[in-house]
Amino acid sequence: METPSESVAGKILKRLVADELILESDRQKLTAKLAQGKLSASDWRLALELPIEKEKE
Amino acid sequence: MSATGLKKITIEHLRGSVASFSLPFEKGKKLTVVYGENGTGKSTICDAFDFVGNGKVGSLEKRGLGKTNRFWSSVGKKSSDITVCLEATDSKCTGKVQKAEVACEPIGSKPKVQVLRRSQILSLVEAPPVDRYTAIKSFIDLTGIEASEEALRALIRDVERERTEAFARVGENQQSLTQFWQSGGSHHGSFLKWAEAECAKDTAGLAEELREIGNLRATFSVLSSYPPKHKDLSALMEGAVRSVGAASLKLGESINTVAEGSAEIVGILEAALVFLEVKPNPESCPLCESKENVDNLAKTVVERLQSFSSLQAARKAKENADKAVEDLGKKLAHLTAEALKHAEELNDQIKKTKWGADVRLPKQPAPSTLPELAAWVEENKLLPIEWGKAESSRQNKSKFASTLKKALDTYKINFDALKFLDALTPRLKRALEIVQAERRTFTDSVLAKIAEEVGELYELVHPLEGLSKISLILDPNKRASLDIATTFCGEKDAPPQAYFSDSHLDTLGLCIFLALALVDNPAQTILVLDDVLASVDEPHVDRLIEMLYSVAIRFRHCVITTHYRPWKQKLRWGWLQNGQCQFVELTKWTTTGGLTLIRTVPDVERLRDLLKEAPPDPQLICAKAGVILEAALDFLTLLYECSVPRRAMASSL
Repeated sequence: METPSESVAGKILKRLVADELILESDRQKLTAKLAQGKLSASDWRLALELPIEKEKE
Repeated sequence: MSATGLKKITIEHLRGSVASFSLPFEKGKKLTVVYGENGTGKSTICDAFDFVGNGKVGSLEKRGLGKTNRFWSSVGKKSSDITVCLEATDSKCTGKVQKAEVACEPIGSKPKVQVLRRSQILSLVEAPPVDRYTAIKSFIDLTGIEASEEALRALIRDVERERTEAFARVGENQQSLTQFWQSGGSHHGSFLKWAEAECAKDTAGLAEELREIGNLRATFSVLSSYPPKHKDLSALMEGAVRSVGAASLKLGESINTVAEGSAEIVGILEAALVFLEVKPNPESCPLCESKENVDNLAKTVVERLQSFSSLQAARKAKENADKAVEDLGKKLAHLTAEALKHAEELNDQIKKTKWGADVRLPKQPAPSTLPELAAWVEENKLLPIEWGKAESSRQNKSKFASTLKKALDTYKINFDALKFLDALTPRLKRALEIVQAERRTFTDSVLAKIAEEVGELYELVHPLEGLSKISLILDPNKRASLDIATTFCGEKDAPPQAYFSDSHLDTLGLCIFLALALVDNPAQTILVLDDVLASVDEPHVDRLIEMLYSVAIRFRHCVITTHYRPWKQKLRWGWLQNGQCQFVELTKWTTTGGLTLIRTVPDVERLRDLLKEAPPDPQLICAKAGVILEAALDFLTLLYECSVPRRAMASSL
């Protein structure tokens, strides 16, 4: 059964993708890490930098 | 984990079950009410559910017994003798004690059981906020999200610090470029445009000019070295010519001293010596063909030649002097040729290159003869110093261009980094807002759902008392701290503990427990309420029972034990609205027989069953109908307060 953290992580990632803050392709990987509390500062940074880099291209 | 209906629970040697005891569950009824006086074994049934579902015997806890495992078995039995078997329509789970733990077979069949006992009913209401939070933690536990959120918060702090540093670096770069710009005359309107224009200039021409000036200096330097060399060689030549004269004079004197024609004689003797080396023992003199004195001819020739040695030395000296003059002549010729070549090279360099205004050139081309070259070099000897200055000026320009380009590149890199951080920072903050908002929304919605459920349940028991506005609030200033509040006489956020009666608090505790159980997958949960009605006052008990009926159907099954006699009466005679429950009664517990069931069907139901029988038994039907009629009359006389004589123990019908 889905834990509260997994449920909320799913909603958070959905909104982050909708706001174009992270890439859709990263969503699944990040959801699991977010729920487990393993999303480190460097993970966050990389995930949020990628769309900016992509915009530049 | 199964969610199907229960068939039977069988208990052996757990607590009061000294003999095997089975409680069958009626098909289609989700609520089982177990009635019994104190000491009949009601808690043993609750313990059996606790044992098989939660691996513990909750009725023994908090009694100062420490570890309770050794008290689980009935008197005279061991823990390993305990067996609890719960049968459902499609599964069966058997719990036994193995290595001081309860193990269920088959693995994974353990049912989900929630037990609330009389002693625990106020635990959630009266508990400190931290303990209250612990009780509901599993529903709102977002530890993982909170850890990731903290990492994001730390990242925002780092990026903001990084941005401050980047901003300072860009400021420093800007200042340097502005200084360059101002020193360069503040052209192009801004330091950036000027710097870009300066860096776009071709510095290859500067390098070419530097190379040409360097070559000019080098060629001039080589050319300048020829006049002194020529002077030295000329002096040497003069000396060598004088040496030849002196050697000739000395040779003449030697010839005169030795004998007239001696030079020719030495020549003949030297030729004879060469002949005698080839033919050492001739038969006659090769010159006069005389055979006289032909013996030892070679020895005689050598002895005669030795007498002419001074003449030979003079001749050798003359030869050497001639050779020296010849060599010096060659050197002078080579020097002249080289000087001519470099003079032409310099003239070519001057001619083919477009020189800057600051590069002054010789007025005349370099001459092709060495004596003229000496005068020319003397005339232009200061030019290399001026060329050096022109070279330094170009080197400085080149160095400035390189420094400016480096400063501009650094500025652009730092400016881009700052721009990137300016784009990243608001995105990070927006991400944090989303994480916080979703976390709070989830927590608030779960708490609101639980509070709403509590309020609804509470309203069923205490309708229109205005006490149902229950709220659960997480203390924002304290982590993991949960407050309960209600609205009391218009006062909001009032703690119910301060205003509610004991009976109301009991109901609130029960409602909170039920609400929490309802949040956590009730369709798979067996709810066990052990004697929780004891302190509820008479006016509310019927509504509480009705509320329990309405809640019970949302669970997989609900077992309620009670020693509340009126409930027995109400169930027995079918007075309750939602009477669709299974009613069982326990009789006195004995040391040999343990728990004993005495009835499971209400009298009204039994009368219906008797009427359905074919053929019906009038005697049994009349007897049962008489008992029910008597109870009905008893109820009516009490309800309408009729003054009628009563027998002792009438209420025990």
